[in-house]
Amino acid sequence: MSAAIALEAVHKHYETGHADVHALRGIDLVIERGEWVSIMGPSGSGKTTLLEILGCLSQPSSGRVRLGDVALEGANSDALAAIRGREIGFVFQAFNLLPRLTLEENVALPLLYQRVPRAERRERAIEALRRVQLDHRAEHRPAEASGGERQRAAIARALVNRPSLILADEPTGNLDTVRGQEILGLMEEIHQAGATLVIVTHDPGIGAQAPRCLKIQDGELVADDRRPR
Amino acid sequence: MTSLEAIRQAARLLIAHPMRSMLTLFGLVWGTAAVIFLQSWGAGLQIMLQDAFDRAGKNMIQIFPGGVSEEFSPAFDRRFLFYTQEDVDNVRARAKEVERIAGEARRFMASAYGQTALNTDVRGVEPDGIAIRGVHIASGRPIRRTDVDHRRRVVVVGHDARRNLLGLQGGIGSWVRLDGNPFQVIGILERVGTQLSRDGEEIDDQLWVPLSTHLALWPNELVDEEVLSALLVRVHDRKRIAEAKLEVRAIIAERLRVSPTDEEAIPMFSPVEMLENIPIDEQNGVAVLIAVTILAIGGIGILSMMLDSVRERRAEIGMRLAVGARRRDITRQFFLETFGIVGLGGLIGVAIGSGGVLLLAAESLRSGIPEDQRDLLPVPQLSLEAIVLAAGVMIVVGLLAGLIPAWRAARIDPAETLRAD
Repeated sequence: MSAAIALEAVHKHYETGHADVHALRGIDLVIERGEWVSIMGPSGSGKTTLLEILGCLSQPSSGRVRLGDVALEGANSDALAAIRGREIGFVFQAFNLLPRLTLEENVALPLLYQRVPRAERRERAIEALRRVQLDHRAEHRPAEASGGERQRAAIARALVNRPSLILADEPTGNLDTVRGQEILGLMEEIHQAGATLVIVTHDPGIGAQAPRCLKIQDGELVADDRRPR
Repeated sequence: MTSLEAIRQAARLLIAHPMRSMLTLFGLVWGTAAVIFLQSWGAGLQIMLQDAFDRAGKNMIQIFPGGVSEEFSPAFDRRFLFYTQEDVDNVRARAKEVERIAGEARRFMASAYGQTALNTDVRGVEPDGIAIRGVHIASGRPIRRTDVDHRRRVVVVGHDARRNLLGLQGGIGSWVRLDGNPFQVIGILERVGTQLSRDGEEIDDQLWVPLSTHLALWPNELVDEEVLSALLVRVHDRKRIAEAKLEVRAIIAERLRVSPTDEEAIPMFSPVEMLENIPIDEQNGVAVLIAVTILAIGGIGILSMMLDSVRERRAEIGMRLAVGARRRDITRQFFLETFGIVGLGGLIGVAIGSGGVLLLAAESLRSGIPEDQRDLLPVPQLSLEAIVLAAGVMIVVGLLAGLIPAWRAARIDPAETLRAD
């Protein structure tokens, strides 16, 4: 069985107006299926760039990325979109729910782009909401939900296409400690159900909960701690 | 993203910023309504003008007496020319373009009924001339061939002349005096309405007597034969007026011994040609062009609103891309949104424009306007053409206004959503 994600000598440059930013400087990384990995680092360390590459949101400047059995070199934007739609679920710090859609419609959004028929979209959205104990609020709009509920809805959206990989970017960044722990508990459940989970955070407390903790600094991996559970 | 969902999204976008939406849609709505209204007004104007010109006589050429032009004869020897019944007979026998021809005699004279005396335009007519004028009898009977043959002293009264001369008392059977001679009223004409082309008074103000009676009582003293004041010709084909003129002039020129190309010797006048010389289409084209410009400016409003929307929704677009939307899904969404908004504005514009046209064309509104003014007030003609034109321009506006925002939206980096906080 191949790894969930394998990165080999990945570099990423950004051309900004004034300077050439070297965000990733040779990352080698293998994440096995079913792992729970946290990526930690100060801001500007390159952790968001790494998450973009893991999430197929952008291509590395050089180096190789494999997602399961698929090598991503040279994949065009449609192919990447298809992979994101099928294999990856995103959880964002700012939730990124659409305010004018109900929670259920928000959760069903990824299925829309998979050409899933309407009735099935609804059914699967409700099922995903049930997994985060939010099915009773399906018809509410994000503004009517609390911060914790919004992030749970966003997690339901990440689960709805039954992805093999879940990527979370500071999922508790906008929440208080209690709600944050609730969300982490939920993520642990999802992880135990078999998904590979990658969380980017700058909060050492959250990073420490993961069995494997990567530390990134100035575009390089500086630590890879595993602790037995 | 289905079209239906895109239209729902467009509606949400409009509802979210009602003030901005109203201001933005205003140009589009106004432009569409203006295109429909002006196009319909132009069509109505065309019909109104044609009707007003046709009131003197449909597909008619009037031929007046002239003089040999200086091109053919020196000024001191200028020869004045008159038409006779022979010309009428020649043209009737030989001209292929001509459906009917008739002579007409005309003279202004005193007419009197009871205490009322007026200076009136009295015409000597024959049945063919009445047919060319196309005027019907409202009551009584028209002037017939027998009236002409027997030089009867009978008169048919125009719609307004009846009111002005006969007043409330007089009617069919009344006796009036024309230049001192007693005539019996045998008929009253239907109302013709305001004429844009006329010679002397309008038909509604004229008195008609048999041509032969007119010629006998009021001859032209300059010549010793019976001469006609004018010839009236109706052509078969409205589009062949020019050909008919050449043909008729050549026939008449033969008897008068003048050049068949001498337009001063045999002057001809046709309301149809006058109508053609009015640049209605050009005028209307300019007006519609201005309306189309307003519509295009409305499109620029939509363009700027959609560009705003793309800017505001970068995080949303990034999120959609992150959850699996392809670039073309995003393009499609914004394109359909723009189209939905343009379509909505267009529908409102079509409704307002058509509503305005139907309102102005409504009989109930028009009946409040005096008859004389109504004759020259166009009835706007709501045509499919106008709506198709507005819809066509709108589709172009929608395409142009939708293209740039959709393209911009699809260029957004999906990683944006992770960075925008």
